[in-house]
Amino acid sequence: MPDATALRAQTAALLPQLTQTLGADFLEAVSSEDMDEVAMLPGGLPAAAELLLANGFTMLLDIGCTDHLPLTPRFEVSYHFLKFDLETNAPDGRINSTAPQVPARFRLRVFPDDLDPHVPSLAKLWPSADWAEREVWDFFGVRFDGHPDLRRILMPDDWAGHPLRKDYPLRGLDRRFTPGGRVGEVPPVITK
Amino acid sequence: MTIEDTEIGRTDSTAKEVRKRDDLRIFALAPDPEAATVDERDTLVLSMGPQHPSTHGVLRVMLRLDGETVLTAEPEIGYLHTGIEKQCENLFWQQAITVVERADYLAPLLNGLCYVLAAERLLGIKDVPPRAQVLRVMFAELTRIASHLVWLGTHAMDLGAQSIFMYAFEMRERILDIMEFVTGARMHQSWFRIGGLAIDVPKGFLAKMDDFIARFPTRLADMRRILEKNVIIMDRLVGVGAISASDAIAWGLTGPNLRASGIAYDVRKAYPYSGYEQYDFDVCVASGGDCYARFVVRLNEMQQAWRIIKQACERFPDGPVAIADRKIIPPPKTEIQHSMEALIHHFKLVSSGFNVPEGHVYQSVESPRGELGMYVTSAGGNKPWRVRWRPPSFYNLQALRKLAPRNLVADVVAIIGSLDPVFGEVDR
Repeated sequence: MPDATALRAQTAALLPQLTQTLGADFLEAVSSEDMDEVAMLPGGLPAAAELLLANGFTMLLDIGCTDHLPLTPRFEVSYHFLKFDLETNAPDGRINSTAPQVPARFRLRVFPDDLDPHVPSLAKLWPSADWAEREVWDFFGVRFDGHPDLRRILMPDDWAGHPLRKDYPLRGLDRRFTPGGRVGEVPPVITK
Repeated sequence: MTIEDTEIGRTDSTAKEVRKRDDLRIFALAPDPEAATVDERDTLVLSMGPQHPSTHGVLRVMLRLDGETVLTAEPEIGYLHTGIEKQCENLFWQQAITVVERADYLAPLLNGLCYVLAAERLLGIKDVPPRAQVLRVMFAELTRIASHLVWLGTHAMDLGAQSIFMYAFEMRERILDIMEFVTGARMHQSWFRIGGLAIDVPKGFLAKMDDFIARFPTRLADMRRILEKNVIIMDRLVGVGAISASDAIAWGLTGPNLRASGIAYDVRKAYPYSGYEQYDFDVCVASGGDCYARFVVRLNEMQQAWRIIKQACERFPDGPVAIADRKIIPPPKTEIQHSMEALIHHFKLVSSGFNVPEGHVYQSVESPRGELGMYVTSAGGNKPWRVRWRPPSFYNLQALRKLAPRNLVADVVAIIGSLDPVFGEVDR
């Protein structure tokens, strides 16, 4: 059965290393209720990613984004990592143990620039990052530098705008009929 | 950035050009190094779906073929995008459950469970009554069986076994009958609430469950006898679409797909929720990593889910099914009729919901497809600020780019089926 304190000890040991690696890009380290996390600027992401990978965080569980408008920094790109114990791994890359694995969890929160959000891509380190980064680009307009194929993924290719931004209206543009029978476009109401 | 800058809904003039270029770029991608050795002029590009029967109308896979062998496979998704994450941000915390459940439409209650647990963590609710906890586990496992039965039926149909579909759906029908009996809805029950359950189970519930518990194992055994050592099934699945443990981790596979590669990771064991640590069940693992391993893991999981349901029915405690906090759960109708305070609580909850303290939390549950996570952010208001899904199907489907190359084009159907993607969840 999982031992929460042992798991936390694994990630707690990581925090000082990360602080040192990140240098000026480090913002804060928080021990949240669900897992340990580090808030940082995008510049240090490649180094942080290498460090996490070297420490056994072999699964990039998810990349998400949150728009904190009207707060600044506005965008938060969140990375969730899992650490798998591959010690018992057989030479052919297969694990023979059927004992339940309890991977440690870790979260990075990256805060890119408000007006021109850029984050280094992790698609070369974790293949699972490929689509996840495309989705963040699609819905928030955060660019991932070095991504092999940064296209929209869920919205149509010719869509303009990034729908999950907070200043993007829920119902799109408001179209109204004018007395002359023409359709006019009125500015949308921004909901907060 | 202002609204004018983003040009919402307006097609920019270069978009068509971009689209053409992108269509070509799909095939320029070569995740498999062997693919690069084949002369481009000898290859054929085949668009499989969205009308192909095995992709069920919602997935297109662009295949580059060398004869019958797949060189690259690039799934095109987004056909079922409904903006669920955006809608969540515009509904009260309790209202959002209805849209949350529409993401993974084969396991609606598990979406609801994940969201409800995340909200409860933000609110600091730790005293959900035991009866509600047991019912949550029981219905989560019933949902898992129902979902695996749909997978079994459609997967077998994709492989050419038509009658299995009927058997599996008949078994699922019994589960949906129980769902309807308890919640009033066959799918999208919206039965889990922040703080407990919407209503208690009706009289005669345990009798129905006992009936199900008694019948299910023999039905499942029948299916196993037909399928597990079936020559055709083994011929189509053994050795097809194999992935090693380290690759499965790198591609973000979770759930049965990861366990079929030999890694015994199950969220119910690793990070238990709703009291899963009190139940006795096994994590189903296989070592092959191929379609057949995934097939066997899911069959075994149905057996384990049945074990959990049986234990839940045995311990079924009495008591309330929701917390007594009137600021979260509305008072019963009988109380409203004679208590002014109850009426005010009811009115406030219906008209403006409740506020959730500022913060963010990651909560995950073991859905039939894998680790279903939600990264929920609250800004302190009565609506979620952001609900970020970690959709297991999204990552499982992405791995098709790794799994399909070097297989025959006919096997792509088997591989997609063995990954068990649900497109409501992939596209949200």
